[in-house]
Amino acid sequence: MGRFARIAAGVIVIAMLVAWWITAPQTIAEQDLPDHEPDAVAGERIFWAGGCASCHANPVNGKRAKGEDRLRLGGGLELETPFGVFPVPNISPHDDDGIGRWSATDLVNAMQRGVSPSGRHYYPAFPYTSYARMRIEDVLDLKAYLDTLPAVEGRIAGPELDFPWSVRRGIGAWKRRYLDSEAVIDVEAPDDLVERGRELVEDAGHCGECHTPRDQFGGLQRDRWLAGAPNPEGRGQVPDLTPGGKNVSDWSASDIAYYLESGFTPDFDTVGGSMVAVQENMAMLPADDRAAIAAYLKALPAPAAPPNAR
Amino acid sequence: MIKNTTHLVLVAAALAMVSIAVAGDDPRHERHELMEGVRDAAKPLGKMLKGESAYDAEVAMASLATFADAGKTFGDLFPEGTETGGGTEAAPAIWEDRAGFEEALAQWNDATEAAIAAKPANLEEAKPVLGEVFGACKNCHDTYRIEEEE
Repeated sequence: MGRFARIAAGVIVIAMLVAWWITAPQTIAEQDLPDHEPDAVAGERIFWAGGCASCHANPVNGKRAKGEDRLRLGGGLELETPFGVFPVPNISPHDDDGIGRWSATDLVNAMQRGVSPSGRHYYPAFPYTSYARMRIEDVLDLKAYLDTLPAVEGRIAGPELDFPWSVRRGIGAWKRRYLDSEAVIDVEAPDDLVERGRELVEDAGHCGECHTPRDQFGGLQRDRWLAGAPNPEGRGQVPDLTPGGKNVSDWSASDIAYYLESGFTPDFDTVGGSMVAVQENMAMLPADDRAAIAAYLKALPAPAAPPNAR
Repeated sequence: MIKNTTHLVLVAAALAMVSIAVAGDDPRHERHELMEGVRDAAKPLGKMLKGESAYDAEVAMASLATFADAGKTFGDLFPEGTETGGGTEAAPAIWEDRAGFEEALAQWNDATEAAIAAKPANLEEAKPVLGEVFGACKNCHDTYRIEEEE
């Protein structure tokens, strides 16, 4: 081997090691979890705020689950995205088909680091980039609540994607850029209500996942936070929630809270599309939480960047 | 002269379009108007439920009467051939599952009838019965209405 070839081989090996290191799953160890007594009642609130049922509940006769059926989390819904179809997994407490054997640490790593108990990256169709901002205590409470729900049989196969999306390891590099537990919006002089709303909207509620546009790699454009985006499920636009947005900006805080409670807009039109399921989750929250969400949305600044800046 | 003729044709065409738009014989147009009326009747009820205005039994009963009237004919305004066009927000599910649609509509009619029979005298009495009526609106829209971009 010539000198040049040896150097080239060395560079390639180093590059591979660096790539391996960059893409390695990052997890939280059990001993780093806070000392917290899990509270299933508090966890139910997180469950509705987090919208777990909207994706994970078993569809009933091919339709979205409603009412009590939302507590059967056997999965099976198929999420169609530009990157491929993602079948939603079973997260009921079934020992073999669901997540019945998971520890609290497993759930924290899944929801906040996007890493499975066996150390694989999850695809960000699972909104862990939002859940990463949650308090760990809230995830522990949620685990306690999920454990009380019915175990549902039926294992759901993982997604089949085309190359390069099929290489899960690559998600590690994606996470380096887009996974961040910092708050998105610094509200000027926030009060307690706005801060609570910020947590509900940015963290558990993961509103940004649909209401914020994405860049070419599928990461959220933070400079267009909640400023509306193409509807990932078909025609039209997901509404702009910032000041100046055409649908919602002239709604009062009580209009927003009432919409989330009842599904009726100030014009007495009803909620439509994917927002129906979201609204029905929000209706399960205490009224104060809906008021907090409204307060945060009314406190939103105008987007930092104009539309289609990229 | 040619210019005048062109004008005349344009005016005639415009008139024809207006008359189509206001003609009551397009079910797509009729059902849209009917729903607009229902929505306008729902607004004062919503204000009362939200606490933005005081409960007024007379206004509430008038709104419910509007609902009841609309409910009588609404189901007849979805004949074959009116599935699309005219900016309709009717979902294909109405024609694919007519029985389900009729059932959802009946739920609304029943809730309206029950609310009228209850003659709610104050907000506390009105809340549960109006909740059923509004719930029925939403329930039907979830499956049988699609949203058109404005």
